[in-house]
Amino acid sequence: MISVGIDAGAATTKVLLFQDGEIMGYRIASTAFDFVTAAGKMFEAILASCNIGKKEVGNVYATGYGRNSISFADKSISEITAHARGVSFLFPEVRGIIDVGGQDSKVIAIEDGKVVEFLMNDKCAAGTGKFLEYTAKALEVPINDLGELALASRHPAGITSMCTVFAESEVISLRARGITKEDIAAGLIAGIAQRVAVMAKRMGLKEDVAFVGGVAKNGGMRAALEKELGVTLYVPFEPQITGALGAAIAAQGNR
Amino acid sequence: MPSSLQSLDFFQDSYELRIAQLKEERGKGIKIVGTFCLYVPDEIIFAAGADRIVLCGGKADTISVAEQSLPRNICPLIKSSFGAVVDAYCGGNLACSHVPLVDVVVAEATCDGKKKMYEILPDYLPTYVLDLPQKPGSPEALDYFLSELRKFGKFMERLTGNVVSNDALKREIGSANETRRLLHRLFELRRRDPPPIRGSEVLRVMQKQFFLSPDQFRQGVSRLCDEMKHATPDTRTGPRIMISGCPMAAGNTKVADIIEQKGGVIVVEESCTGTRSFWDLVDEDADPWKALAERYLEIPCACMTPNDQRVARIVDLAKQYDVRGVVYYTLQFCHAYNIERLRVQKALKKEKIPLLAIESDYGDSDLEQIGIRVDAFMEMIA
Ligand code: SF4
Ligand code: SF4
Repeated sequence: MISVGIDAGAATTKVLLFQDGEIMGYRIASTAFDFVTAAGKMFEAILASCNIGKKEVGNVYATGYGRNSISFADKSISEITAHARGVSFLFPEVRGIIDVGGQDSKVIAIEDGKVVEFLMNDKCAAGTGKFLEYTAKALEVPINDLGELALASRHPAGITSMCTVFAESEVISLRARGITKEDIAAGLIAGIAQRVAVMAKRMGLKEDVAFVGGVAKNGGMRAALEKELGVTLYVPFEPQITGALGAAIAAQGNR
Repeated sequence: MPSSLQSLDFFQDSYELRIAQLKEERGKGIKIVGTFCLYVPDEIIFAAGADRIVLCGGKADTISVAEQSLPRNICPLIKSSFGAVVDAYCGGNLACSHVPLVDVVVAEATCDGKKKMYEILPDYLPTYVLDLPQKPGSPEALDYFLSELRKFGKFMERLTGNVVSNDALKREIGSANETRRLLHRLFELRRRDPPPIRGSEVLRVMQKQFFLSPDQFRQGVSRLCDEMKHATPDTRTGPRIMISGCPMAAGNTKVADIIEQKGGVIVVEESCTGTRSFWDLVDEDADPWKALAERYLEIPCACMTPNDQRVARIVDLAKQYDVRGVVYYTLQFCHAYNIERLRVQKALKKEKIPLLAIESDYGDSDLEQIGIRVDAFMEMIA
């Protein structure tokens, strides 16, 4: 059976095509203002590239913040369930998930592929990709370079403010004091890693933890988080698609 | 999902009647006491020949007025209540706190936010504060609370010019116990699977408990129970949910509504607008003052320490009502209930009962965020 998962996230939309236990293809794009139409186009593009007709698709499941607006989806499931299923498919041994996305972060504990507890932070930009986005701007470096920069730091700067707005001005004053970009970047990343690690520790995640979401692509962030938690994190080949993957797997119907 | 329970209309319609009654009483010189908490015994107020209404605010619209005087980071219940007093404006809507009808506020020394707010209240309304021991488990605490209740009795006597006799107290204890027994009957019926009434419907009834006169309230609840006995139950089969935590004052049904929208079946509430208000009865055979002191100190409120009886009660209720999950509801900045969450969660975890913590205020900005958590929780316990 062919199924499709759509993760309509606040920052990015992901569409994934799944068939007979395999990922056939996926697309990732920034969430546009008219994200429903955009998701529809991505859906069609992926079908075209895999040479599959719409009629051949069994079920379409949606997840993510916009999940209930995707009119062509058959059903919607929460991101928590979606990530758990997607990650369990990629790494069956995993017992915990840390997801840091563009606008939220979550921590999920799983047992035998089932969610047993979760925590979400979606009220505050601190501890999400937004924090890195804004502070990278203040640092005048592309967000994708932030991790590399941080890895080169010798004396990470202490960033005391975890409020995104205040951290921005803190970055500016650190720069004025002549602190290197590397050290500031490392300070920023350590700050958000601590914040996320607190959530993971709260839930008692210890071993076999996966790190997913857009921010997981950031090598510096991954290293900082591993240091905070004292574990090696599992990171999928494409950390942004686990939600869409989980939705597509759920759309297959069987557990 | 339409409700088929006609007797719920009684509670809707009772509003006008009650306001008219209070106005008439005031005209006759009967004193009206405003309250904010379960720890203030109705029995003493009624024994003194006064009447009472609850002033707890559950709506957002009076909060901005309150924030002109109070810090923003205190619980919305306190801000909403205080704002209504400052406004002293009765717009006649259902959640209005009817401050202008009140002669005096009888407050209580519970959480810090309320305690300090009560220090400002006298600028607007005469205010009496009942003190409470914070470690209620000892004989000394009981003695102290007993003396506080007697003092409060004297205050009521001065206010009304009536004597609070033992006979009057006993009569009122009997009346309040009757209400409590009736609520036990209502909650007993909810143990059925599926329950014959929705949780949000019960919540709206409970929000009227200290607004209506005891007679009016009992009349409504008793009709409701009679009707429920024969009612065709709600056909939904979602997971049975217990709500535990802060009070949901009149006007605030946000989280209960979301849980039901997402398919949860709320079967019991461990809160001041739930079991805490009626679970324990007053001993009718003992000395009335002592019996009151004992019963009221048993209220498992998070302002007390250590609050073992609350943790035990929650686990017990979760089992009795056969719930699949507990939604631990707190008002933003309510430290007592927010901190106590950890102990509750640990105790429930031992029994393998999952808990979802939701902290919220009276605004609508987090509807989506609460919705996603509840969705995920429902999928988790399904
Ligand atoms: S939560 Fe505690 S302080 Fe608040 S109304 Fe209930 S008993 Fe009183
Ligand atoms: S909800 Fe908490 S903070 Fe608010 S009044 Fe009650 S005890 Fe105090």
